[in-house]
Amino acid sequence: MKLLSGEILANKKYGSSLYKLEVFSPYICRNAIPGQFVEVKCSTEDATDPLLRRPFGIYEIDKRFNVFSLLYIVRGKGTAFLSRMEKGQNLDFIGPLGNGLKFDLDDGKKYILIGGGIGIAPLCLAAAHLAEKEKEILFIAGFKDNVFFSWEKDIAKITQNYRIFTEDGSFGEKGLPTSYLAANIKKLNNSIIIACGPSDMLRVIQEILVNAHGFTALSLLEERMACGIGACMGCVIKIKEADGTVVYKKVCSDGPVFNLMEVIFE
Amino acid sequence: MNEVLKNNKGLSLTIGKSLFKNPVFVNSGTFAGGVEYNAFFDISKLGAVTTKSFSLEKKEGNAPPRIWETSSGMLNSIGLQNEGINYFLDTQLCKMKELGADIILSIFGCDTEEFKKIAAKIKTIEKELKAVELNLSCPNVREGGMAFCAAPGQIGPVVSEIKNIIDVPLIVKLSPNFNTIIESAIISKENGADAISIINTITGTAFDIETFKPRLANISGGLSGPAIKPVALFHVYRLAKEKILPVIGMGGISCWQDAVEFLIAGACAIGVGTANFINPVISEKIIEGIAGYMVSMGFSSLDEMVGKAIKES
Ligand SMILES: Cc1cc2nc3c(=O)[nH]c(=O)nc-3n(C[C@H](O)[C@H](O)[C@H](O)COP(=O)(O)OP(=O)(O)OC[C@H]3O[C@@H](n4cnc5c(N)ncnc54)[C@H](O)[C@@H]3O)c2cc1C
Ligand SMILES: Cc1cc2nc3c(=O)[nH]c(=O)nc-3n(C[C@H](O)[C@H](O)[C@H](O)COP(=O)(O)O)c2cc1C
Ligand code: FES
Repeated sequence: MKLLSGEILANKKYGSSLYKLEVFSPYICRNAIPGQFVEVKCSTEDATDPLLRRPFGIYEIDKRFNVFSLLYIVRGKGTAFLSRMEKGQNLDFIGPLGNGLKFDLDDGKKYILIGGGIGIAPLCLAAAHLAEKEKEILFIAGFKDNVFFSWEKDIAKITQNYRIFTEDGSFGEKGLPTSYLAANIKKLNNSIIIACGPSDMLRVIQEILVNAHGFTALSLLEERMACGIGACMGCVIKIKEADGTVVYKKVCSDGPVFNLMEVIFE
Repeated sequence: MNEVLKNNKGLSLTIGKSLFKNPVFVNSGTFAGGVEYNAFFDISKLGAVTTKSFSLEKKEGNAPPRIWETSSGMLNSIGLQNEGINYFLDTQLCKMKELGADIILSIFGCDTEEFKKIAAKIKTIEKELKAVELNLSCPNVREGGMAFCAAPGQIGPVVSEIKNIIDVPLIVKLSPNFNTIIESAIISKENGADAISIINTITGTAFDIETFKPRLANISGGLSGPAIKPVALFHVYRLAKEKILPVIGMGGISCWQDAVEFLIAGACAIGVGTANFINPVISEKIIEGIAGYMVSMGFSSLDEMVGKAIKES
């Protein structure tokens, strides 16, 4: 991990509150793996509000041009600032951070990537990586409405094997990604599931998998962060380890990738 | 490199019998043991690395969420999650020494007995420490913590008992949450402490207006960052004026100008905390900034600048 400054090459609007930010950074492109994130300073150099850096999963890496991108939703002050940044300005960020996803590519397994809302962002980098290695993948995305409509072209470039669900039916199929998973659980076995999204979605996936066999389930979690590097103990979640002991783990440095079946949602 | 930086003596200071190479420390709980930050800069350059507070046994800390950002500040309710003093002795100390860090060990106990037991454990390695800081001011724990500052009479036995066990400069870290800083400093001095660290965080809270729930699972937390700087600075100034003990000033310091302000207000050294989260190399920059300021102002030693504002006011 390093403190970096990278030139912004584009900050494209993808939907009403959805943006893609492209940043030049040979260091990130060389060193980051899927599932890792960066912590971005979302205010001008000496400004103290918003104070803390904001974490974002790495969405794409283009090694040919040394460009990586973030896909983000405008939620509050920090992301609103980010949406106003322009081509040619420099982004101040720390990364790559977190454990990331380490794949055993010879395991003969299929990969099922399930993303809810902006949770699809880090999964796209994982999908691109797996597709490049010619692994079999199924990408299941779930959204509330059509904000992510323009995102479909990005996933279509990675794989044709994807399903999109929206709660209001405004694009893709009407329904929930978790209902699809539950209905097809038998034929999907011998897979590695990687999920990222709201905790309600992750909890449902956990419930579906408790009684299913032949799955390994990983999840990418989010928690509010301060340092982002494992120093402050601010970002913990509860994990039930294999031996039954319950411990707090840091999302920023022990995660953000955790065994989904060990996560305790409260 | 400027003259003051080249001639290390210009920035050095002593607390008790320990010599510190410069007045820029990092605050307990914001820097872990420094290993993570060493990826960004050489932490042996710091005046001291103050460790996370260690208790006798491992402590799991408070339930999440533990962090909420406020205007130019943050609330935390970590609740002193730490691996216990044995972890420091068996694992962390060694790593910090390898990196060349000058160490202030922060310790925390529910009562005098726990503090005594921790002191007995660190006795064998006391030579490796520049100082021991007694955290008597955490707002996020039920027992001990800032209760010591609510009833400063309890501070005396803790300090004197530890002083009997270890021969290391003792720093007492106090809370701004009660109007007892001066009284606590006097008691600390009478019982053998060598310096006072102020301030620990200021108790605060925040609520979600849609769900009516508190933002922190613990309901309250400690406020830190730029938002608390004027409060911290005032406490430092008021205590330093009394000339009871040397004061290590902290609270919201985010740039070298902030650090200089604390030094002229009477702090003999300063601590950088929350600012590390935003800029992981800020404490190194602050050392350079203070040195540059001293050259431009014609100060050849810290003594010449510390407390300047007290003399002027
Ligand atoms: C490891 C990790 C990866 C992430 N990846 C992405 C990503 O790829 N794209 C993206 O758009 N967002 C991502 N997020 C969430 C993103 O960090 C928050 O949306 C952002 O911090 C909001 O900042 P703000 O100042 O705009 O909003 P704030 O005003 O701080 O908050 C607005 C809302 O966002 C929620 N929020 C704030 N911070 C976080 C956080 N750290 N985690 C979860 N919710 C939060 C708050 O609860 C609040 O409801 C990620 C978070 C983590 C922890
Ligand atoms: C996340 C966090 C954890 C902290 N943990 C401790 C601790 O373990 N012991 C302690 O004495 N102070 C602790 N503090 C308080 C700081 O050391 C410091 O006194 C306070 O944050 C004010 O300084 P700042 O505004 O520069 O952060 C903590 C502060 C923060 C933000
Ligand atoms: S954000 Fe500081 S430990 Fe994770």
